[in-house]
Amino acid sequence: MVEPIRELVTITVDGREITAPEGQMLHDAAKSGDVEIPVFCYEPKLGEPVGACRMCLVEIEGIPKLQTSCSTPIRDGMVVHTKTDQVKEAQNAVVEFLLVNHPLDCPVCDKGGECPLQDISMGWGPGKSRFTDVKRHFQKPIELSPLIALDRERCILCYRCVRFSQEVAEDEQLQLLERGDRTFVGTFDDRPYDDPYHGNVIELCPVGALTTYTYRFRARPWDIEDAGSVCTLCSSQCNVKFSIRDEEVLRVLARDNEDVDDGWLCDKGRFGFQSFGSEDRITQPMLRGGDGELSPISWDDALSRVTKALKSSGEKTAVLAGGGTSNEEGWLLGRVLREGLAGNAIDSGAHPADAGAVRGLSNPALTARMRDIDHAGAVLVLGADPRNEMPICDLRIRKGVRRNGVRLAVATDSPTALDRRAHAVGRYLPGAAAGFISQLAGEIRSEGSSSGPDAEAVAALATELRGAEDVVVVWGEELWSEPRAISALMDLATVLGIEGTETSGLIEIPTEANGRGLREVGCLPGASAGLAEAPAGPGVSEFCEKLRDGSLETILLADSDPVRTHPDGEGWKQALGNAFVIAISSFETPSASLANLVIPAENFSEKEGTITHPEGRLQRVRRNVPPPDGLLPTWNFLAAVATELGVDCGFSDQPGLFTAMTSSNGLYQGITEEDLAGQGVRWQDREGAAGRVPAGGATPQMAAPTSAPGSAGAPDSIRLGTRRDLWAAEVAERSPALEFLVPMQSLEISIPDAERLGLKQGQAVEVSAGDGASVEAKVAIREAMIPGAAFLICGARDGNGNLLTGAVPGSRTIRIEVATPVGQTENT
Amino acid sequence: MHAKLNQDKTDWSPFPYLQEADVISVQRGPEAGGAAGGWRALRETMRGMKTTFARLVEGPVTLQYPEEKTAVYPRFRGRHKLHRFTDTGLEKCVGCSLCAAACPADCIRVVARENDPDDRVSAGERYAEVYEINLARCIFCGYCEIACPFDAITMGHDYEMADYNRADLIFTKEMLLAEPIERAPLKREGE
Repeated sequence: MVEPIRELVTITVDGREITAPEGQMLHDAAKSGDVEIPVFCYEPKLGEPVGACRMCLVEIEGIPKLQTSCSTPIRDGMVVHTKTDQVKEAQNAVVEFLLVNHPLDCPVCDKGGECPLQDISMGWGPGKSRFTDVKRHFQKPIELSPLIALDRERCILCYRCVRFSQEVAEDEQLQLLERGDRTFVGTFDDRPYDDPYHGNVIELCPVGALTTYTYRFRARPWDIEDAGSVCTLCSSQCNVKFSIRDEEVLRVLARDNEDVDDGWLCDKGRFGFQSFGSEDRITQPMLRGGDGELSPISWDDALSRVTKALKSSGEKTAVLAGGGTSNEEGWLLGRVLREGLAGNAIDSGAHPADAGAVRGLSNPALTARMRDIDHAGAVLVLGADPRNEMPICDLRIRKGVRRNGVRLAVATDSPTALDRRAHAVGRYLPGAAAGFISQLAGEIRSEGSSSGPDAEAVAALATELRGAEDVVVVWGEELWSEPRAISALMDLATVLGIEGTETSGLIEIPTEANGRGLREVGCLPGASAGLAEAPAGPGVSEFCEKLRDGSLETILLADSDPVRTHPDGEGWKQALGNAFVIAISSFETPSASLANLVIPAENFSEKEGTITHPEGRLQRVRRNVPPPDGLLPTWNFLAAVATELGVDCGFSDQPGLFTAMTSSNGLYQGITEEDLAGQGVRWQDREGAAGRVPAGGATPQMAAPTSAPGSAGAPDSIRLGTRRDLWAAEVAERSPALEFLVPMQSLEISIPDAERLGLKQGQAVEVSAGDGASVEAKVAIREAMIPGAAFLICGARDGNGNLLTGAVPGSRTIRIEVATPVGQTENT
Repeated sequence: MHAKLNQDKTDWSPFPYLQEADVISVQRGPEAGGAAGGWRALRETMRGMKTTFARLVEGPVTLQYPEEKTAVYPRFRGRHKLHRFTDTGLEKCVGCSLCAAACPADCIRVVARENDPDDRVSAGERYAEVYEINLARCIFCGYCEIACPFDAITMGHDYEMADYNRADLIFTKEMLLAEPIERAPLKREGE
């Protein structure tokens, strides 16, 4: 299903001839011809117009009554008037009516100065009020959620927030309650509005009814400066706009980029900025002394110590990049290791990616654009929960399903937020993805070929995918933990005919925000910048073992926290305890607390550099506020280290570094900072992209379908899987506004397993696996779970599920012991 | 010469104004020096001395500042004052920052904050936690007073703001709220 192309028609608005696609709403068409029609409720991002506010009434010749321009599609030859007396009278009346129930407390209201109601009252209102009675009063502010304050008096009932909740986030929590002048926005039974995207309603609100506690009364529009950057808290890489006052970020707004974020922002990106100014932030180089405490040292001292440590370990050095490490920094890390130390132990991400397979998957014909999801025939979500791993992708898929009839198939080990919208759902046991995918590919290839316990689910998934015109596969990085899953995925792509069509493809959701970029600049074993051939080396999963047995001596962690976010947290703890650790980090994370040297890192409001979106789009992170006193840019420090190690850098500033980085990279060659501009550029969209990816080393072997998952292991054993939670992250814990969202560890388990083990909802249990490590968790019984598996949150602050996984995720079974006696369980 | 040109109607030109504008008349004074020159110098000196001697008998008009102050008009725009409600004692300012927006010299800084209902500072939901006016920069135009929707800020009559330190010229909310010493007398009617 390709985006329909619509014919251009010509209409006349106020005597101007405007050419626009047929069926476009009159308001948008007029706007494209520079005729402004005032609106409150209309917002194209929210989907179908509702015509609730009546502000956009216009006169159309041939129709006796005024029409709402936001919900009137244009037709060839339409003649429209927006400035006649009749229209003026209607606009005056609408504004006057809205202001009757509006408190006009602009001096106190947070929206003052950037308020559409103010602007429209000035521009299209009567200028005078005839209302002399007492205004209605509500209690205010009401806590709609711990982050959002609701002022019912100011609400003009435009339905924007309600539509967002119903049709975009699809949480269906916000409603307009009561009737008439008592109508107000609220939730059922006054429960807090709980949704990872709910911050968007603040931006949507055309008046000051919905404001956030984090920005409430902090500044006025004329006090602040707007500054654009890209959020590096997850791989969505949403374009953001900071509001900066006195060199401090006060709020984060969405910066519309239809190709990336569709104009939305998740709450992590919106409120995570609070961690920037956290008191715990490390702002100068720190050295761990004999007493185990970190103490500040000078940058010169840090440089000489880092250089000394790297020189002494030489090729026994490992580099692990992650998080918001920029392409430039990743490229410098690669050069420091490969050229300066002749080492080859470099990787990024949490799961071991194979250079040959990465090259194969980087084929531009196999990569989908984010916007391909909008009009895809079918979307397959494979081994990932977009809501928790790439939140904006979740909204994008929902939009496709709701508005464009995209068929959605979900195949994961743990339940996802998209299950409810999916047309077919398949579940496999943790660690059994490879078998499931090859079974699915086989089923699509020849109908009715699969057998075993999953046959029904696989057949349902195959029905959705077979014959679908364009298929977009959104898959999670955790598939790399099963090497055969990747070859099965390639096989699936071939079966689906993805390479042949322009608008289909694969999108990988990396665990690290700049996962794709880091691989493409050379933070990948066996591949240097531009995925060029390089000597093979150990991958991330081998680092742990090699650091423990001493074949690697030093590890440089760039914005990476393996103890917390990588499988086998327990093993990483020992590994880092055994090695000399240099951590580039903003906080004393679980990994940085084992580091011998900590180099402070910049965040995405302070950093200058580029990152690469999972769809291959290079985007620019801009420095908008100065970093804390004396904090050296990370690239600067790395360049100094490289120079000390005898690597010829040949640049002295950030633009120079960018040029050096792109010119040495086959994929990015020729991209200039002007090309990136505000919206970024996909390297696949540039000329000769197909020839840019070097021929991949080993072709991945096709996987034979394994035995049906579920048969593995002893009967009644429960296999441990991990699932990611959006809020189980350092940034949520360091931001006061988000701290209440940090999850408690919970053990998700299926109904039959819970019944068999006699577990109750909310019961405290102790989960252990392998060599006796254990984690405390509360039982969460879920319907959509596969029996025989249980899931813990990975990266949780208390009782991290990664501690139990062992080196290969999905390979262990768990033992569950009830911690609270029966009868004392609390029901949640 | 001008009159002559104007009268000369026969000398018609398509650009009469240009012709007239081109005429430059130069007035020359008498040549300096000689007896006439000496007399002129003496005469002008005597004329000046006449004024001097005439004022001598009037007595001194100098104000003994700072012991005596210049009186100002009632609408004189001097140092700013912030006000409180007389009945409740709450600050009138709600920290809306409109004064800062109106200020052409950009000398006002307002940082607002939410009121604690149990310990109110102002009447509304918000109040000014920081309210600073940099008087070294202020041009005393009075726009802040006009912009204020609550009449919370007015311009007073005090003009004695000299100080030894630039930093001391940044007036904080407490200084602006404090009852100012009204040193300058008002002009009486007819004065």
